Amino acid sequence: MKVLLVEDEKTLAYEVEAFLKKAFYICDLAHNARQGLEKIECNLYDFILLDLGLPDQDGLVLLEKAKKANPDAAYIILTARGNIEDRIKGLDLGADDYLPKPFSLLELQSRMQAISRRKSGINSQLIPLGEFNVDIQKRTVAIQDKEIELTRKEFDLLSYLLLHKNRVLTRLQLSEHIWGSFVDDDCDSNYIDVHIKNIRKKLGAHGSTEWLETVRGVGYKIKKS
Amino acid sequence: MKLSTKLTLFVTLSKLAIVLFFVLTLPYVVDYITATYTDNLLQQQKSKVLKVIDQNGIDFYLDGQESYGSYTLLREEFIALEPVDNLAKIDSLETAERIIERDTLNYRILSHTFKAGNQNYLLEVAKATSTMTQYSRPLQRMALYLLLSLIVITLVIDLVFTHYLIKPLGVIIKNKLVNQRFPFARNQKPINTSTSDFRYLDSSLILLMDQINDAFEKEREFTANASHELMTPISILQNKIENLMEDEEVSDSMQQRFAEMMRTLSRLKKIVNSLLLISRIENEQFAKSDDVDVRLMAEEIREEISHRLEDQEISFELKFEHLVSLKNVNHDLLFQLFYNLINNAIRYNKHKGSIVMGDEYQNGSYTIFVKDTGIGIPEDEIPTIFNRFKKANLSQTGGYGLGLSIVKSIASYHQITLEVVSVVNEGTTFKAIFSNDNVAQNK
Repeated sequence: MKVLLVEDEKTLAYEVEAFLKKAFYICDLAHNARQGLEKIECNLYDFILLDLGLPDQDGLVLLEKAKKANPDAAYIILTARGNIEDRIKGLDLGADDYLPKPFSLLELQSRMQAISRRKSGINSQLIPLGEFNVDIQKRTVAIQDKEIELTRKEFDLLSYLLLHKNRVLTRLQLSEHIWGSFVDDDCDSNYIDVHIKNIRKKLGAHGSTEWLETVRGVGYKIKKS
Repeated sequence: MKLSTKLTLFVTLSKLAIVLFFVLTLPYVVDYITATYTDNLLQQQKSKVLKVIDQNGIDFYLDGQESYGSYTLLREEFIALEPVDNLAKIDSLETAERIIERDTLNYRILSHTFKAGNQNYLLEVAKATSTMTQYSRPLQRMALYLLLSLIVITLVIDLVFTHYLIKPLGVIIKNKLVNQRFPFARNQKPINTSTSDFRYLDSSLILLMDQINDAFEKEREFTANASHELMTPISILQNKIENLMEDEEVSDSMQQRFAEMMRTLSRLKKIVNSLLLISRIENEQFAKSDDVDVRLMAEEIREEISHRLEDQEISFELKFEHLVSLKNVNHDLLFQLFYNLINNAIRYNKHKGSIVMGDEYQNGSYTIFVKDTGIGIPEDEIPTIFNRFKKANLSQTGGYGLGLSIVKSIASYHQITLEVVSVVNEGTTFKAIFSNDNVAQNK
């Protein structure tokens, strides 16, 4: 997968690049709209991550031009501006997603994967998880064809952990994913634990949940080969 | 008391005082004037008589007789000449009784002694006092009537004119002070008056309003820009920590420290996010075009917050009795408003406490209330709980004092009036009173 990141804040761009490379993406960087457009016109990308506040041109203008040169790429807008009009305008211009800064790199990856799944047209894909099978598309968990009921949030949590398997996710990363940019100033709370407890209880009644590990003082992870 | 009332009272009372003063002093004034006039008349007559005697001799009057007396037909006036002792010397004006043809009458008498030949004579010129006062009573009455009518006329003119004069003040108070809502409209209309004091007052008020608007605008701009500028460094930090945590060489204890760093960063992020949200609400960046089913929204909040209720074992009851939907509102913001109120109700509640959310009509206005059995808020803190970075109870952990500021911003954006009733250690009730324009009955 080939990704172009157009971001004028270099330190931030390098962090995103490092993360994406580790996740086996091929990453190109551009630090302004002119550079960005040059690269878009010469290469075909699977993903174009676009900052709106570029020094030489508004990101939305670049988006319009890029769409013509590279119509099949998936576009994700990254911005600190975050006002509603920009969001609507961006999505109107054909952006696939919109991520307000500051965002979690894990969230970025999960959005990219969601777009990939959508674009590949695979309707259903069973991911084995211990004795269970998880269907991300249909949002179901089953054990030997027997479906287990999870709430929306519980499933979101499980699938996010599964997506980032073998990686410790902090409670904050998890809560940011399931509550989004929704403002909630209760960040010291461990409400994620309540959900994890419920997941363990519900799934544990049918099979082993050894794969769901608690990492003391940090968070949770799903261990899976 | 209003200025116009004060002026009316003052004008009326001062005129009444003048009337009273005249009524009391008029008889004395009239009496004094008639007395002076009579005395003058008697003096003139005396001079005339003396002049005649000087020219024609005393016999012109005495005509061989010893004394002389003459009075008018109704005995209103008389004149008398009689010889007196040579040594006597009288020159006086007095009011005394005289008997004329068996009638005792009161006279004002001028007595004067003079010499004619070798004989000393006394001249008396007199005027009956009854004739002196005969015109003064009707005169007094006439003067009184005239005075009264003049006063009534001037009073009416005064009142009408003062009313006209201070009318611009009323207009200023009504338009610039009472009927103003913050933020003030730009381009306030200046008042139309020729009184420079009112024009000055009015223009000063307009200037003040503009200054307040500008200051508010600057604060809003600052909050938006500052929050926005803070986002980029926070982004970099967050992503750096995330990348570090990915590193396989990092030990478990380092992982924990990274998690703590992330928690601190997240706190900062949430504060900045809250400030940004408030500034966006104040900048009116949210569309108010949703219709919200109140019961549905309450259920959504219950679902969203259920994990917290579970954690604290708090019971949550919905008591919606009216089939009402809210129109021309922003669903997400209203959701946030009640979410924050309920979140607060949980945070400041007792273990195994309860929360009731419901609706009622308060003085004809649709009201949604959130009632908890929490620690309550001391009365003197209630006015400041909606201020930014203010905590209701400092001993409690958690919260950054922005939850209620967000509630306040959303409420004023939707013309919702907030009311807080609280009893310490018993609980708090927050009420959101909606404007009738936003409420529709569901069929």
